[in-house]
Order: sequence, then structure tokens, then C-alpha cells
Amino acid sequence: MINVLRWLVFAIAAFAMNFPILVTLVTSFKSTRELSTNPGLWVQAPTLDNYLAVFQVSDRLNIFLYLFNSITVAFIGTTLAVMLAFPAAYAIARGKLGERTLLPFIVNLRAVPLIIFAIPLYMMFQWLALLDTRLGLGLILSIVNLPLALVILVNAIRDLPGELDEAALMDGASRLQILLRVIAPVCRPAIVTSLIFGFITSWNEFLFGLMLTTSKAVPITVGASFFFAASGGGVQWGVASAVMVVGALPPVLLGLIMYRQISGSMTAGAVKG
Amino acid sequence: MGTISLRKAGKQYGVIDIIKDLDLEIADGEFVVIVGPSGCGKSTLLRMIAGLEQTTYGQILIDGQDVTAAAPVERKLAMVFQSYALYPHMTVRQNMGFGLKLAKLSAGTIKAKVDAAADALKLTPLLNRYPKELSGGQRQRVAIGRAIVREPVGFLFDEPLSNLDAALRVDMRLEIAKLHRTLGATMIYVTHDQVEAMTLADRIVVLKDGRVMQHGTPHDLYEKPANLFVAQFIGSPKMNVLPCRRSGDSRLDLSGEGIMELPLTGDAAPLQIGARPEHLSLVAPESGHCRGTVEASEYLGGSISVFVRNPTLGLINVSAPADSAFGIGETVGIRIDSTRSSLFDGKGLAIGTAPLTL
Amino acid sequence: MKTQRANTSEFKLLATPLVLFLLLFLGFPAIVNLIYSISDVSFETLRQPQITGLSNFVAVWNDNAFWQASWFSLRFGAITALLECALGLFLAIFLSPLIEKRSWLMAILMLPLMVAPALVGLMYRLVLHEFAGPVPYYLWAWFGASLSFLGPTSAFWTLIVVETLQWTPFALLLFYMAYRAIPTEVVEASAMDGARRWNLLWYIELPLMAPTIIVALLIRFIDGFRVFDNVYVLTGSGPGGSTASLSIYIYEAFFKQGAIGKAVAASVILFAVSFAVLYGLNLFAGRRKGALT
Repeated sequence: MINVLRWLVFAIAAFAMNFPILVTLVTSFKSTRELSTNPGLWVQAPTLDNYLAVFQVSDRLNIFLYLFNSITVAFIGTTLAVMLAFPAAYAIARGKLGERTLLPFIVNLRAVPLIIFAIPLYMMFQWLALLDTRLGLGLILSIVNLPLALVILVNAIRDLPGELDEAALMDGASRLQILLRVIAPVCRPAIVTSLIFGFITSWNEFLFGLMLTTSKAVPITVGASFFFAASGGGVQWGVASAVMVVGALPPVLLGLIMYRQISGSMTAGAVKG
Repeated sequence: MGTISLRKAGKQYGVIDIIKDLDLEIADGEFVVIVGPSGCGKSTLLRMIAGLEQTTYGQILIDGQDVTAAAPVERKLAMVFQSYALYPHMTVRQNMGFGLKLAKLSAGTIKAKVDAAADALKLTPLLNRYPKELSGGQRQRVAIGRAIVREPVGFLFDEPLSNLDAALRVDMRLEIAKLHRTLGATMIYVTHDQVEAMTLADRIVVLKDGRVMQHGTPHDLYEKPANLFVAQFIGSPKMNVLPCRRSGDSRLDLSGEGIMELPLTGDAAPLQIGARPEHLSLVAPESGHCRGTVEASEYLGGSISVFVRNPTLGLINVSAPADSAFGIGETVGIRIDSTRSSLFDGKGLAIGTAPLTL
Repeated sequence: MKTQRANTSEFKLLATPLVLFLLLFLGFPAIVNLIYSISDVSFETLRQPQITGLSNFVAVWNDNAFWQASWFSLRFGAITALLECALGLFLAIFLSPLIEKRSWLMAILMLPLMVAPALVGLMYRLVLHEFAGPVPYYLWAWFGASLSFLGPTSAFWTLIVVETLQWTPFALLLFYMAYRAIPTEVVEASAMDGARRWNLLWYIELPLMAPTIIVALLIRFIDGFRVFDNVYVLTGSGPGGSTASLSIYIYEAFFKQGAIGKAVAASVILFAVSFAVLYGLNLFAGRRKGALT
């Protein structure tokens, strides 16, 4: 009956949308020999050779560096964004500051193609010696994360009853104390959600990584493409697949564990903002 | 037209019985109020009749036809929801006409019917507004209008007044009563408020844990409650229940606090006596059936609600005339009107008294 | 009175870090953009741009590649938005009973959103590879057909499919939440009025979801319009620049051609257009909200 049809549609949709991930996963376990004979969706003789190759550092390819860079810039990009957005969110939600100017401006930022700012930023960074640095990339990523972080936090604070602040005021707290001692703990789920979502977005960023780094601060999204540079006999698909699996793993794991919170943040901008 | 019957109807969620073996006969044009505390299953029962909930076993008949498996619209019933459930994206006119539109009536017919209903409910100036622009009371009337327009054989009301403020509630209660007089249709009304039940019903059905505790006219339920639950649920303020014991053929021992002369039938063994605050009077300490200390008194304008504490019998609520003068801490006597009291046995069931010559 | 004024200044203080940060990292670049767009400047003369008027804008206007890229972005954004929303709407409503009982199904459907678009692009290079990829393999084995997915004729549609398959879950998620947000009593009232499945969908559910559908279309159009990552790694600007989105056009003008002036001028144009469209939308949304309240 209709339920069977629903399951069928689900299976097809899940398979089709996740197809590239599945293919890459499967391919990462194929040996070089098998790759030349079996392009199908199954593995005849699974092997871990590709992963071993990935984790071998060469002068051209260093996955540990790329992963470290990704973690660092994602960390900077998300914590900085939240640290800037949280007090401002409070000012907007409670103090009604910039509700019609600052907030819409930042929300609209989400829609602007950020390449527009990339070029002057490149030149600015060159002047400030921030090119090819983790700090530089992290700073830019925090801008990318600001819109959604702000929307999530403004909505979270708006949902809290104003009496909470008033009770604290009666107790003699300053605004900053209210923010840190009362609002922040209560908003912890929203803050955590913003951090996680910002982490994933930063990790998955490519354009700025491509433009603003060359060798030292290259994140994994850009570093993975290095493995695709044909070296002699064409792309080594096994190793390339393994790299992609490693590069995609952290956000995917985060997503699988925290999909409930993340789905809330993904739609926060759309439904309320 | 409009007779509704339930025969041994029941509803289960998994292993939990929400409604158990329920029998109910509702006559054409009757206004039946189903009342009970939260969780008693009254809304579920209403929704079973509406067709919004599947009946697990038993039968539901409308005008003699078995509708147990029929879809809501096939039952020709209309429902007014607690939250009004108006379609937010449609105007008042479109809300009221939606059912008719689905029934494929002509645009002219729909307009005529909607105009007539709107006129009756004084909604005509609001016909082009959207629900979010209306007040609670106005939305309520639109919900009623939506039901009227379909000319159903029966109306179902699911706690329609609970979202309104107190003053509005009284107004709407009168409107609904008037509606029943005008249309003469069968109405089934669910509420947790026993005042609404008493004032609106031709017949009240008291529900507890999915079972009927008693059904009858408001008068029957007030004067002759069948059990302790109904006795204390119906009537405001609540009936006082005092522990007692039989002491002889026509004497009741109020747990050592006093003696009442009361004709008792055969081998009746009452353990509790119920007396409503309005059937008690405050007298001199030595002239009452029992006595106690005044703990609190609430001036209500038309009367005074006095709370008298007796160490064995508990806190007794007496409705005293407005000009009485009792101080807190004073010792008073309580006189019970034996002709208006109820007796209950160990299981909480009412016991008959010998017929009184009044 | 004193506390009220103190309050506002406290709030202003709280918002200051953000504002300063934005001024520095957005405001300053914006100004630089404007200056460079009207100057003659190269990588050597970065610190001394020479104002030359609108010649850069003229160069962009006359550049066929610019119009080609704009057209690409427009088509790409519109088609992917429509496809993703149509598929997402269907899946959200049809699969809703399943997901309600088992929420982890949503996690599986959301997976594509978690992977970097750049990585997804690289993955498709594998998937569509003539020797190592399954798609050409099975296409040949089952249908005896062989398509050149990234060739001049099919590249555009291949990219559309890649983008759509990755981002449909976003629309699905949005619509699922909007669908579940429809009040049950409203659905029941319509059942009492006689609405069966299709009537319910057409007259009640879709109209109530309409605002969300519009928002989803807008967001996906904007994201499709400014696409970069997956297109860049899959085809780059493609044969004859046929798969260059506006973002890729600007990137290549800057990095591959070193034509700073042209790149920046194009950026300014893009910024102005985006801003105008967004401003118009905000006005429109504001007027709609005002009418209904």
C-alpha cells in the first residue's frame, strides 16, 4: 500500500542525493589494480592502502597540515562570529538597537556573493601580511558565519521573557552582567547550535581558502584538490577518494549526531529572518 | 433527523482504554453536555462521534444508520473547535463558504447561505476580513457560522468558550443557548466547566476515566447525584462531604460530633453524608447538628462564604446570608437540611432515604 | 531618566565590537572596490591607483564573457531553485508520515548538505569518470549509451543535476517544518468541511506553506546565482567560458588574467544589482506584512 511506496521513494531519494558520497566511500577501499577493472558500486577486495597513502606526508601533499588548518580556521571562524554576534544580538533583541538597520543589513549579507569583497580583501591581506595565514582565513570565515549566527541568537533572545532581564535589573546587575550571567546560560542551546553550524560552514568553505592561501594555511577543501593534480599516469582515484572521505568526515559526523539542532539553524534564517 | 446513538463504543490507544463500553442515546434536537475533569475522555468521545477519531469497537449510529466507519463529512455533522480552527489564509466569507464550495454548490447559493448565516450572527461587516484581524469573540462566531451554513443534522462543540475571558464567556453562552432555541438542532457540547453544563444542557453526561458516571437533567444531577464523584463535580461551591455512621433506624452519627434525625431505608449503611453549602445554615453552637470554629469568611456581596473547621469532620463550607455577622475564631453551630442532603456508602454510591412526605 | 540613557549606551557598547569588525572587514574593502573600479591599477601599482574614470566599467560592458557569465548565473539560479523546491516540496509532503515517526530518516536525507560543495564537485569528477566512475559504466552496461557529461552540450545540465541533488534536502527540510507547522485543528476543520486528500493539499496545505515556498525559492536562487565551488572544481569556466558563473568570471579576471580593474568593476556591478534586488524585496516583504497586520 501507500506506505511501501513511501519507503521506496525515500530509498530512491536518499540513494540519489547521497550517490557521490557512496561512490567515493566505496572507491576509497579499492586497490589500484581493482580501480582499472571495476568501476562498479561494489568492492571486490577491500584495502586500506589508499588511506595509508593519504596519511603519508610528502613535500607536495601533507594531509595533517590541511586538517590542522581546517580545524583552526573553523574554530576561529565560528567562535569569533558568535562572540561578536551574541552581545550585538542582545542589543538588537532587547535594546531594539539597529532592528531596522543593522539586522536587515547583516541578514542580507547572506545573499551577497562574497567574491565581491574577496578581491579587496586579498589586497588588504597582502598589505597586512595576512595572506596564507590561518588567522587571516579565520577572520574572513567569521564574516561568512555572522548572518546566520546573528539571526539564531536574536531569535533565541527574543524568545526569552523580558521579565528575566528585569528580575536581574532589580537585583542590581549591569547589562553586561545580565548578558553573561543570565542570558548566556539560558541561551546555551542556541549558542551551541550556532557554534556547530558555524564550524561546519567554515570547514566546508572553499572560495576564500582558494584565494587567500597558497601553501601554509591551506584548508582541507582546497588541499583535497591537490590530490587531483594528475601526476604522471593520471589521477589516482583510490587515494583521491580517501582524501575526500577524510575531508568530508568531520562535518558529516557532526551532522549525523546533531541533525536536530542543525536543521533548526538552517531554517532559522528562512522562517523567521 | 439528528438522533445519535453510541452502542458499546470504545476507544483504545494500544492497551490504554480511553473510552470503555459506552452507551448513549441522544434524541433529535436535544442539547447534551458532556462534562468531566481533564483526561476523562470527553474530547475523545466527541471526536469519535465526529469521525476524527477511529472507534476501536462498538457502533455509532446517526438517524439509525451505522456511521462507525464513515468519514466526517459523510456524517453531516458540524464541529466548533476550541481554538476555532479558522483557515488563516481565507476571509471570513471564504471560511464560511469552504464546506459548501467543496460540496460543489453554485456560487450564488453559497453567497446566499453565507450572507444569511452572517446576518444571523452579526458578522456581515466582517465578511471580508481575515481571522487574524478579528477578536476572540468574533472568531468564535465565525466558527459557529461556518458550522451553521452547512445545515448539519447535529452540532459538536469542543470546549468552545475556554479561550475567552470571563465576561465574554457569559455572553457567548447566551448566544449558544439562543442558537439552540432558534435552530432546534441536536447539539453535543463538551466542557470541563460545570456552570456551562448546568446552564446550557437539556441533559448532562458526566464522564470519568472513559465511563459515564451519571446522565440526566441538570436538576436530577444536582438534587440526586448517583455517586460521590458527580455530587462533588456538579454544583458550585462544592458539596461538603462529612464522615458519618448509622446509629439506629433513623439516626446518623456524625462521627461523634453530633446526631442527625434522618429516615433511613432497610439495611442502608451510609459512611458519608453530602450537604451543599447552600443547604447548611449557621446557628448557635448548641442548636446545630455539629459545631466548629470559623476559620475564614469571604464576603461575596449577595452572600457570605464561611469556612468552619471541625476537628473530626474537617473544613465545612457554609453559604450564609449577606447580613450575618461572624468573627474569625468564633464557635458556631451548623444545621444541615436533612431533606436536601445525600448519603453515600463505602463505595461512594448514593443510598436512597425513605420517601419523605414534603 | 538617568538609567534609561545609561541603558541605551550600554546596549550601544555591546553592539560596537560587531560594528567595528564589519566596518573594517567589509566597509573598508567596499571603499577599496569603489576606488579601484574607477582607476587604472595593476599588481605592481597597488598602492598608487590612478583614477581613470569609467573605463573599467566600459571594458566589462563590452566583454562578452561577462554577459555569458551573467546569463549562466541567471539560468543556473532559476532552474536549480525551481527543481530543488519542486522536488523538496514533493518529498517533504510525501515522506512526512515516515519522518514523523523516525526522525533519523531526516539525518540521512540531510547528509548531502553537510559535505563541502567543493568536495561534492570533486566526487562527481569520480562518479562521471569514463574509466573509474560508476555512471558511465552502468550507462554502457545497461543502456549501451555513452554520454560526455562534461562536454560542451551536456556540461550545463550536468552541473544543474549536481547542484540540485546536493541542495534539494535544504528545501525538503524547510518545507517539512512548514508542513508540520500547519495546525492540526485547521486540518480537522477542513475534514469536517469535507476536504479529502487533494482538496486538503490544494486549498489548505499549499496556501499555508506559500510564504515558505517563496522564501525557499529566493534563497536557492541567490545561492545558485552566486555558485562557485562545485562548478569551479568540476568544469572551471568550461569550454569557451560556457560554464563560468559570475563568481568564476570575477575570480578568473583577477587571478588568471590579472585584470584587477575589470574584476573589481564587475564586482561593483554585481554588488549594486544584488543590493537593489534585495532592497526591493525587503520593501515588498515589508508592504505585504503591513497589509496583513
